[in-house]
Amino acid sequence: MSVPAEITRSGEHDVRILWKDGHESIYPARNLRLKCPCAGCVDEWTGKKILRGDDISEDVAPESLELVGRYGLRIFWTGGHSDGIYTFQLLRDLCPCRECDSSPDNA
Amino acid sequence: MSEVDKETILEALRSVTDPDLGRDIVSLGFVKEVKLCGGAVGLTIELTTPACPAKDQMKNEAEQAVLALPGIDQVNIEMTAQVRTSSTRASGFLGDVKNIVPVASGKGGVGKSTVAANLAVALARSGAQVGLMDADVYGPSIPTLLGVSGEPQTAPNQQIIPMTRYDLKIMSMGFFLPEEKAVIWRGPMLDKMIAQFLGGVAWGELDYLIIDLPPGTGDIQLSLCQKVELTGAVVVSTPQDVALNVAQKAISMFRQLNTPVLGIVENMSYYLCSHCGSRDEIFGNGGAREVSRKMQLPFLGEIPLSTSIRTHSDQGTPVVLAEPDSEQAKAFIQIAENLAAQISIQNMSGEAQQDIKVSF
Repeated sequence: MSVPAEITRSGEHDVRILWKDGHESIYPARNLRLKCPCAGCVDEWTGKKILRGDDISEDVAPESLELVGRYGLRIFWTGGHSDGIYTFQLLRDLCPCRECDSSPDNA
Repeated sequence: MSEVDKETILEALRSVTDPDLGRDIVSLGFVKEVKLCGGAVGLTIELTTPACPAKDQMKNEAEQAVLALPGIDQVNIEMTAQVRTSSTRASGFLGDVKNIVPVASGKGGVGKSTVAANLAVALARSGAQVGLMDADVYGPSIPTLLGVSGEPQTAPNQQIIPMTRYDLKIMSMGFFLPEEKAVIWRGPMLDKMIAQFLGGVAWGELDYLIIDLPPGTGDIQLSLCQKVELTGAVVVSTPQDVALNVAQKAISMFRQLNTPVLGIVENMSYYLCSHCGSRDEIFGNGGAREVSRKMQLPFLGEIPLSTSIRTHSDQGTPVVLAEPDSEQAKAFIQIAENLAAQISIQNMSGEAQQDIKVSF
């Protein structure tokens, strides 16, 4: 499993992860909020997205974050949402860099 | 004759390798306080666990290596241990607990609690500071297995003081409930109980905190993996295929949660006749060894099915203490040593060190 070495802000709102293997991911705040995997944002049985883009304000941003066990990250968003656990695996899969984005796993 | 000094002694000790860590004891930094006085040498070897399975072997080899030096005719080696941790737990929340090791299984009834209790006792017997947390709220059996009852006291800071028995610090839901009363809880309550048992108990300084989990892959297992950085889990199974298949699910859960599996224990491996001592492999044998090979996990050992394990458990004295020289007790002690070795390997390798820098 990919594991982060460093988690910091990128600019004012975005999240930056430097992975142990040297790869760097930068997640624009709102895109990351829209990918929240919690049961309120994604239907647990069907996997269908419940969250609608319109529900999320344009300037949503992470206020703080914390590690969950050895496998994930919890993000506390402005507006009070913090239910989703972004597993390291999910975060790596979500990496929006050109190289990852064009790979078949990330379609 | 060349002059022997501390440097030559260290050079000689480089020939002694820790078989588990695969490196020599000098470069591992184990050799301390080398003293030389005429033909006599005194030194300390500080291992990563008092339960090291290769302790005597390393001591012997070190003695031989030093005695082989010219002009040295006496050597006195003291073996000590400093248990390592790879945890980056913040100070405060279990900050003084070096290693947290859940004992899990897929199926119920494989003897998980008996294994957890005997491993904890065996580690404590080696000189380590050990805690045992019974996270099986549905069927807390640690109080019976260790013959301890009563309600724990609360410290002035509201922390619960764990019960002590056989040099173990012990916490169990069983201390708070009448024996016949059942716990019927939904997930959020279980989550709170785990938080309370981890953060609300005055565990103090521990080398190993062993956690006896309920069977399966449910709320309690998930809560535990979320709340703390675990060193790694031990998975217990019986040799039957049906149990092994479920054990693999437990392993798969820990892998998904990025929690290392330190090894597999095969319980009820064979029947040990209390009259003639003969072995009978009633459930088949070696299945867990095969699974660990397939899943590339350490096999920690096998424990016989024996009446004396059961009777001593019912009487509240684990067999490791009641009959330390029996084959059954030796099996547990060997497994505890193998586990301690795996924990050391885990902690000394860069792999375990997650060490994620978060600055946000």
